[in-house]
Formats: sequence, structure tokens, C-alpha cells
Amino acid sequence: MTIAQSPIDFAAPGLSTQPAALNADERATRRLGTYLTLPTQILLAFIVIFPLLMELYISLSSWTPLDGRNWLYAYRYWAGLDNYWELISNARFWQSIGRTLFIMVVCVPVELLLGLGLALLFAGEFRGKRLFYSIMLMPMMVVPAVAGYMFFMLFQSGGPINNILSTLSGGAVSIAWLSRPNLALAAVMIADIWQWTPLMFLILLAGLLGVPEDQLRMATLLGAGPWWRFRLIVLPRIRAILLIALAIRTIEIFKVFDTLYIMTTGGPGVSTETISVYIYKVTMEDLQWSYVAAIALVILVVLSALAAPAIKRFAPAR
Amino acid sequence: MAAITLENLSKNFGAFAALKELNLEVRDREFVALLGPSGCGKTTTMNLISGLLHPSVGRILFDTRDVTPIPMDRRGVGFVFQNYAIFTHMTVRQNLAFGLRVRRLPPSEINRRVGAIAEMMQLTKLLDSRTDKLSVNILQRIAIGRSAIVEPAIFLLDEPLSNVDAAFRQVMRTELKTLQRQFKQTMVYVTHDQLEAMTMADRIAVLDQGILQQVGSPLEIYNHPRNVFVARFIGSPGMNLLNGRLSAENGQTFVDLGPAGRTDALPSGLARAAERAQSANVLVGVRPEDLECVDGATESGLTLVVSFVERIGHRTVVHLGAGAQSAKMTAHSTFVAALGSALRLRARAAGLRLFDRSSGLALTLE
Repeated sequence: MTIAQSPIDFAAPGLSTQPAALNADERATRRLGTYLTLPTQILLAFIVIFPLLMELYISLSSWTPLDGRNWLYAYRYWAGLDNYWELISNARFWQSIGRTLFIMVVCVPVELLLGLGLALLFAGEFRGKRLFYSIMLMPMMVVPAVAGYMFFMLFQSGGPINNILSTLSGGAVSIAWLSRPNLALAAVMIADIWQWTPLMFLILLAGLLGVPEDQLRMATLLGAGPWWRFRLIVLPRIRAILLIALAIRTIEIFKVFDTLYIMTTGGPGVSTETISVYIYKVTMEDLQWSYVAAIALVILVVLSALAAPAIKRFAPAR
Repeated sequence: MAAITLENLSKNFGAFAALKELNLEVRDREFVALLGPSGCGKTTTMNLISGLLHPSVGRILFDTRDVTPIPMDRRGVGFVFQNYAIFTHMTVRQNLAFGLRVRRLPPSEINRRVGAIAEMMQLTKLLDSRTDKLSVNILQRIAIGRSAIVEPAIFLLDEPLSNVDAAFRQVMRTELKTLQRQFKQTMVYVTHDQLEAMTMADRIAVLDQGILQQVGSPLEIYNHPRNVFVARFIGSPGMNLLNGRLSAENGQTFVDLGPAGRTDALPSGLARAAERAQSANVLVGVRPEDLECVDGATESGLTLVVSFVERIGHRTVVHLGAGAQSAKMTAHSTFVAALGSALRLRARAAGLRLFDRSSGLALTLE
């Protein structure tokens, strides 16, 4: 979504502020910059702006591919804001949004805290660090669809997780994880945490390694214990990267689909149906493309609004 | 109140011995400079005192308390790093307040003490500015103030003046000394600049290759170097060391310097020390300023050939040679001598020192 920013942003920050003060040299530099970025801007126009306009156009009609007409003729099915009214009054839509937000509110902080804890651990030295480091990063490399299938197998009622629980509890455990609404949601969230904690870990570790060693030592000499060092030296220095990591995961989790769809296809019923799964179903099963276009636009606006503070905050720091 | 005692301190990094069996006592409120070339172990010594490093062997005592096992955050040692390690994401005020804040002092007390230290370090006007754009001279003041604010009994400074400009360095030399008197602290100061060590320190500890060469007051070190390393290292240029052979004549002792000639008769003290020499082969030490030109007519004296003339402004350094021997002499800025011309010189008897050629140790009466 971030690439949809206005093309002005491609000019160097200092140059766009005072055009009156530019001399010939600067103007030439600026013109060259424009020429060099022109292909990219044209490309962006095609892959971002064109589909956006198309979406907007379709969302204002009741056109579906079943009509057998090209989308260009959608104006013949003009419906005004009907799709948007439908969206506002559709309980299934709001439930899927609520579920997505719930997953976000639980998973992102858990991933953040786990990632931060691991990053703090890996910023120090311990035996077998390299080995554990590689192991830690593996979930991130697994294709989400494969991860979905993996957790699908793990959470079968006769699967390894129940086997382990049986061994631990001494009795036979056969929980139907993926068939019970709340457990299915929990299972899906566990899979997400498993797969995306490493990304948090990696981003935060990069941040931690950027904290100057001598400042930490100086803080220690001045009497700061681990907590004060973290609060006064480490945290302010990784705050930016922390917020970026949060923004990335918040946006990404809003789009959670593949792992989840393979594990539960949004079921049982609609109990794990997130907004992406909902959109997928409406698109592929109900073929209500104009309604989907309306949903997509609304989500784009919401996500942009969520990401804007983070982007705005770091734009000057480039 | 804090004296520092380093007992038999050694530090190895793998196979490399950075510090070998250092024994050093720093008295309460004393200003001791650790002086030596790069890699001599002076920074290692500081890191051991502060607790940044743990000694391989030996103990560190503050007064009579063994602090060797105490971690650095509880040793309470003030330390100014060579690069200052200013917290660049904080303002000057936050930097200064750091040590008090982590000690959970009440804000009013923190404010009062930050104000006082800022006054002393002349940082009052800058208190609320960001630290990432300040000059090195100011960063250095912040670094000192930040460590001083918690009033540590022991203050360590690791080459704090090596990054600042020459004019400011001169100001800071006197200022640091004044500060130390104000704070009533025991100060250990690392430097490779002998001028800093000579001007500020009560005593200087000269280190080389991890071994303590000599400890003493600046003049003691300058006038009575214990071995040839200290003799060469201290002074600019360092002490001349000429190969010679002891010879006696009419009850007087001389040193024969081969093609360069012969010294005057040694003063009685030095002559008695010379009697204790293991061998007649010695090194004669004489400071460049203790060489003087004499009238060509005198019989005794040295003859050396001018090989190079270095003009520094307020004085002239004359490079001299005779056979394999070489020496330097400092003269007045108006001194004139043609390259290749022979000079008749005399070494002032009071400035003569003798060293054993094989051990490199000074011959003294003990």
C-alpha cells in the first residue's frame, strides 16, 4: 500500500521545498531526477493507480462476470453506493473484520514480545548460537501454504500434538482442534505466531545490534542495571525499528490468508473466516465482484489510515 | 577516600599477554598518569580497574576492599572513554542526569545537581540542546560532567584529550587538574602524550609491552629513568644513548665513546655507581639539552658530525653522528652549523647517566 504515495515523494526532500531559490544547476539536477524516475512512475501508474480506479468504477455498479459483458460496460449496471450500504449492513463482513482484528491484537504483541525476547537473547553470546539462529529463521523460509499444511497435519485429532498431550497427561487425548470453533481459531493463531515471530526477531535483532556497544558499557559504568540500560539506551534506539516491525506485521496480518485457508478454509462454519478469506469466498464462490471491489477499497483506506502515522513518523528520517 | 592497589595483575587475551604482573599503588586523591606507546597495556589497566575486564591473575583493591569480583555497574568508578560514548539520542541534560536517574534520586535533587555540574563544566546554556551536533570539545565536557555528577571516589580518564584540538587541549590540561582538586578524587589518566602526563600527574607510571617500566614523579622519571626504554621514551627528543667503555685514569673514571671521543671525568657519585657495573661496556645517557658546544681548543670533549638540522622555532634540534653512534642536541633557534661539519661538544657532567648495556638498567647507587 505504501507504494501508492504521490510521485512527488521521489524528488529529493530538500529540493521540493523552495523552488524559487533553485539555481540552474539544481534545476538541471532536478529535471534529470524526473527523467530517471519517469519509467517507474509510469509503471506505478499502471499497476497501482489504474487498478484502483478500475476497482472504484466497478464498486459503484452491480456488474458481475456472470453477466457475460466486459467490465467496461459496468455503467449499465450502475448501482451507486449500494455495494457500500450492503457492506455496512452485512454481519458476516463485520464478523470477519472483528476476527481479523482479534487475531491481530493477540498475535502481533505476542510475536513482538517473543521476537524481542529472542533478539535480546541472541544479541548476547551463548553456546550453539549459530545453530539456534539458523533454526530460528527456518519458519520464515517455509512457504505459507506448506506451513498451513504442516499445521493442518499437526492439529489432526490423531496428530502429533494430541499424541504429545496424551503422553504428558497419561490419558488418551483426541481433541478435534480444527473442528471446534475456538480451538480452530487458536490453532490458526499459533501457526501465525510460529511463522512470523522469526521476522520480528530478525528485524529487532538488527536494531539491537545497531545499539553502540560503548554506550551500553558507559551506561553500566554509570550504575545502570539491565532494565535501565534497556529502557534508557536500547529502547530509544530501537523504537523506530520496533514501530516499523509493528506496522509491517499489523498490515500483513490483516491480509492473513494462505496458511489459514489451508488449515481450516475459514471454518468450521465461519469461525476462522478472516477478511481475506471472506473476500476470497465472495469472489470465487459468489462471484460478486463489484461488492468485493467495494470491500477492497474500504480496507485499503482503513489500512492506509493505520499505516500513515508510522510512515509519516519515519519519512523525515530517510 | 579511595586508594587503588593493583596486586600482581595480569591479563591475557588468548595467547597474547596484554598486561604482565602489574603492581601499582595509587594513593588517595592522587593523580596518576599511565603513559606508554600504543598497545602497552594502559587501556587494559583502566578496563581492569573499572571492571570492564576481569583480570586473568591478580587482585584489585580499593582501599582495603577487594573489588576484583564486583561487577562494573556496582564498582562506582567514574570513567571517561576516549570516544566519550555520549548518549546521542539524549539532550545534554539527560546525559548529565543519567547516573542520578538510574540511582532513582528525586527529580528535584537531580535538577539541582545537574545545574551545579553544568555550571562547573560551563554547559548551562547548552543543557537542553541535542548532543548529536555538538563539537568534540563540548562532548568532552559532557562526558566528564556525566561521570563526575555521581561523585565517584575514583575517576578514570582514557586519553580524553586525544580528539580535541590543540588550543583546547592546553586549556583542559589545567582545567582537569583543577577539577580533580575540586572533586577530591583519585584520578588515573591514560595518555600516550608525555606532555599531558608531565604537566598534570602527581606521579607517572610508564608502561611498555604490558610491563610496568617505572613509577615516579614527572621529574624523577625525566631525570632518573630506570632503564633505557624510559630514557628514550620520555623527553622530546628522548635521551641520547651512546655505546661506551668505562676507563679509569689517575683515579678518575671516564667513558670512552670510540670515534666520538671521551666524556669528562664522571662525577664521584656516578663513578662509584660505575664501579658496580657488571661489564665495562655501558650506555651513556645524556639529554639533548645537556649537550653544549665548546671551544675547539679544549682537549677533552666529544666530536660529532652534523647530519641534519631541524628547526622547530623556539629551538633547533641538531642531529649528530660519529661512526655508528648518533645523538641529538637541542640548541638555540639562532644556532647555525653546516651539514657535515664537526662539532666539539661537552656533556654536562650532572646530566650524565649510565646504563648496563646488556640489561638496559640504569646504574645507580641505590
